[in-house]
Amino acid sequence: MPRLTIDGREIEVPAGTTVIQAAEKLGIFIPRYCYHPGLSIAGNCRICLVEVEKFPKLQIACNMPVADGMVVHTKSENAEDGRRAVLEFLLANHPLDCPVCDQSGECDLQNFYMNFGLYDPRFREQKNKKKKAVELGPHVMLDQERCILCSRCVRFTDEITKTGEFGIFNRGDRAELGLYPGEVLDNPYATNVVDICPVGALTERDFRFKARVWYLSSAPTVCNGCSQGCNIDLHFLPDRPHLNDGARVVRVKPRYNAEVNEWWLCDEGRFGFGWVDRGRLGAVRGPKTNGAEATWETALAAISEAISGASDGARVGVIASTQLTCEELFLVREIFRKSLGARVTASVPERPGSSDDFLVKADKTPNTRGATLLGLMGSDDAEAIVNDALAGELDVLWIFEHDAIDLFGEEKARKLPEKLRLLVFSGTNESATADLAHWVLPTAAYVEKDGTFVNHHGRLQRVGPAFPPFGDSREDWRVLMDLARMLDLPLEWRGPREVFRALAEAEAPFGDLTYDKIGSDGVAIAPAEEAAAP
Amino acid sequence: MAVKVVRRPELTFWEKLYLPQIYCGLKITFRHFFKNLFLHLAHRVGRLKGHRAGVTVQYPEELRPLMSRFRSRHRLTQRDDGSPRCVGCMLCETVCPAKCITIVPGEHPDPHVEKFPVRFDINLGVCVYCGYCVEVCPEDAIRMDTGILDVAAYSRDAMKLDIHELMDPKLRKPVERCDLDFPHKCEVHGGDMKGSWPAPETP
Amino acid sequence: MIVELLIKAGLAGFVFFFVLNLAGFHTWVERKQSALIQDRIGANRAPIFGFRMLGMFHGMADVLKMFTKEDIVPDRADKTLHMLAPFFSVFFALVAFAAIPFGPPLVIGERVIDLQVAKIDAALLYVFAMLSLGVYGVILAGFASGNNYAIMGGLRATAQMISYEIALGIALVGVIMIHGTIDLGELVASQGKLLWGWLPMWGIVVQPVAFFIFVTAALAETKRLPFDLPEGESEIIGYFVEYSGMKFGMFFLTDFLETIVVASLATTIFFGGWQVPYLSPDGFHFPWGWEIPVNNLVYVLLGLASFSVKGLIFCFLFMQLRWTLPRFRYDQLMNLGWKGLFPIAVINLVVTAVVLVFLGEPN
Repeated sequence: MPRLTIDGREIEVPAGTTVIQAAEKLGIFIPRYCYHPGLSIAGNCRICLVEVEKFPKLQIACNMPVADGMVVHTKSENAEDGRRAVLEFLLANHPLDCPVCDQSGECDLQNFYMNFGLYDPRFREQKNKKKKAVELGPHVMLDQERCILCSRCVRFTDEITKTGEFGIFNRGDRAELGLYPGEVLDNPYATNVVDICPVGALTERDFRFKARVWYLSSAPTVCNGCSQGCNIDLHFLPDRPHLNDGARVVRVKPRYNAEVNEWWLCDEGRFGFGWVDRGRLGAVRGPKTNGAEATWETALAAISEAISGASDGARVGVIASTQLTCEELFLVREIFRKSLGARVTASVPERPGSSDDFLVKADKTPNTRGATLLGLMGSDDAEAIVNDALAGELDVLWIFEHDAIDLFGEEKARKLPEKLRLLVFSGTNESATADLAHWVLPTAAYVEKDGTFVNHHGRLQRVGPAFPPFGDSREDWRVLMDLARMLDLPLEWRGPREVFRALAEAEAPFGDLTYDKIGSDGVAIAPAEEAAAP
Repeated sequence: MAVKVVRRPELTFWEKLYLPQIYCGLKITFRHFFKNLFLHLAHRVGRLKGHRAGVTVQYPEELRPLMSRFRSRHRLTQRDDGSPRCVGCMLCETVCPAKCITIVPGEHPDPHVEKFPVRFDINLGVCVYCGYCVEVCPEDAIRMDTGILDVAAYSRDAMKLDIHELMDPKLRKPVERCDLDFPHKCEVHGGDMKGSWPAPETP
Repeated sequence: MIVELLIKAGLAGFVFFFVLNLAGFHTWVERKQSALIQDRIGANRAPIFGFRMLGMFHGMADVLKMFTKEDIVPDRADKTLHMLAPFFSVFFALVAFAAIPFGPPLVIGERVIDLQVAKIDAALLYVFAMLSLGVYGVILAGFASGNNYAIMGGLRATAQMISYEIALGIALVGVIMIHGTIDLGELVASQGKLLWGWLPMWGIVVQPVAFFIFVTAALAETKRLPFDLPEGESEIIGYFVEYSGMKFGMFFLTDFLETIVVASLATTIFFGGWQVPYLSPDGFHFPWGWEIPVNNLVYVLLGLASFSVKGLIFCFLFMQLRWTLPRFRYDQLMNLGWKGLFPIAVINLVVTAVVLVFLGEPN
């Protein structure tokens, strides 16, 4: 274990560690363009120059293995002079596009220039002209002039996706980034190159000119696109509705989690947020015959009345969804199964989607493991409940989120409202099922509410509310708690945090966890499930 | 902190008499009165025009000279082809302390220009005339040099300048016809996209 | 009899017309005079058919505006009194003119017409009575508005008017003693006499101290600067705070009417009224021997002109004072009235009486 000194502080790191990694452990940030912890080391940008004593020249920290007794200065005059010179070269042909560049505001070239740039440029010659606004694929746009040839994207497609679309062509100041002839950048992880591009050479076509990055607010959450539960940062516009056509969510960026997704995110999850702002249910809808205005109060009163009016608890059915958080599933279980004796299930006919061996999972809902841990999977079956309902054995059926027509077929679904005294649909978005239900309750999207998901690998992760619920919609847990109050059930919890405490006490796998203990990275609470689904 | 006591000055007997003081006051007012009366009469017969008989500026007919740095109503500067110089970088929208600038950028056909504003609105009812937008603009695309001070309207909506009035300071609300031939969204056409870029010259 | 009535009606109409127009003209003078004093230009718009007339039509525009404005009566106001108060104010200010002689007797054929609407032998008392009654308009306005600020303003105004009336009255007693009459017509005629053969016996000559007291007290009586704190339009809020439209306009008018009344009174009592120095009904008799005969019509016209010029000069002076002096504080106002003017007036009276006794003149 070599010991070395960086900026006067000693640290002992395993052999083979590079200086840049050792410095990172000390919390010393060394600028970098080509270096990326998830990729191989290229060492071509030269910005990470540090001064190492007894070395005649400056060394690049990213490719310098530590040695015992090494003394490194990252902020010395020499090191900064070196970086200034490197930046001068990098900027020699970099266009002054910042005002129109989408990267501006989160651009490493800008940031480092602010730290130690040469503010009085000496470059008087004509800058190189290269191609701008080149569409590489459905999601990525290339600006060759802005590229500093760090080759991160090349290494990404070579090493992570192993598709190898990118290449750097020509030599000298004619060198330019591009795709190999005939290639299109459309692999399922293509847009990650935008995240790792340190400058504005690769930009997201979907985000292009939608907003400036400094307008965006960011909230950490978890992708609900599949059961992998990749950690993401949700970037949204809190005000300025004139941009992005009034939609709040602008883009999704992966959030580093070593145990789940590292630095990456699939394009399916990255662009799967449109439903948060489009086609949302914004108001409670009641039976057409009912003259009174449909409000949450009238809706919940009518529903609780119908539930109490059912002759037997078993004549009430609930088809819960694995889009709900653990807390909400727990509430469903406590209220309907435990207190009323109703039939509750979250298992619906499976319709697996595409999957691969990296991040994308076939199960396209985020909380199947959570539902399993709460005993809501397999114990009953949605198909059976629907069949019984059609046979007249149910009075009330509550469907969360699911599109009944899609799951059970047009014929069965159309008959449901006639056979039932009350069909309730609660969900976030408009669907054909919503038109069938007697009562339609608009509920909050997962980015609008607090709660937890358990991913495919048995990892409990928290989703936080990024912004308030859309329109008149309410969080499912709030709806369920209000219903419990109307049914006079002795549930005294005041929010997801307390519901989770009760859940953790009731269910062994959750142990003695609290929201604070889950933290931002989540906690593994169940063994990883090995592709169990047949 | 030391307290400093300041005595109210006692009036002298002469001042207490009051009448002499009234006389002094009247002397001043009479002097002004007759001087100005004389000057006005002289102006009537075309004499002594060099001496002003009052500090009043007869506003709509007579305008005070504006300082060259004076910040008046905004305008958008133009390229040679009549399209706005603005590249839609939104720095002015960002820096605006009153949040009165609204820009919606669009894609420019020339990849070296990239962006341009399809909407550029300034709500003058909210604007505080700080001039930050002018200062921050990297393209010299917005200026406050029209010399227009009398911004007034009968409704809040009429205080909102859209790209028409910003491109042509002589225009006043309501703008009835849209003559701008670069693409933009404007109220004249109900917020739809109008205009087009001139066809590229074929060699 | 009918002819007498017609003559009186004509005189009254003449006075009404003249005084009301003068009051309207006053608004223009006030604007322009203040503008000149303050190096401004003053109101110069409101053109009629393109003629601006130095902004003289602003007065008309004001009246039109006031007539067309909404007349707001506060919910808690006493509706009747609230409506009556401005009429009281204007009425008493107008009728005070009735007793003021504004020219020498006009002779038409056999008939001698006194240029005085009402020939009252106690004219001075009448004028004072009318001016005092004006206080009713003020107190009613304050009281009927149902507004605490208004009633405080009304009380301040009432206290001020009553306080200064005393000094005003006592100051005039000296004049009355010298001329031995309270008939204004006779008072004016009496001032035509010459002192030592060359000095007209005007009030200002024989009673200079009384003149200053009179002018000061009269200004306070008319509630104009520097004594305008009963109104104090924007700062301390006066009795007509709850008035709008033409009712407010009437208070405004009263202000100008009272100025004209006071100017006329000062002219009549201290500056010989319509008297022109050395002018007798048959012509000028200068002390150095020149004589210019004039007929009755010229004599009357000269008298009218004399009265008008003197009155207008007083109006001008009051206006100039208004734009020169700052407003008194209320305690200063009361101090000046009770501890300043009142004792001086009394001393002046005593001295006058003593002097008269020593001179031994009967009147």
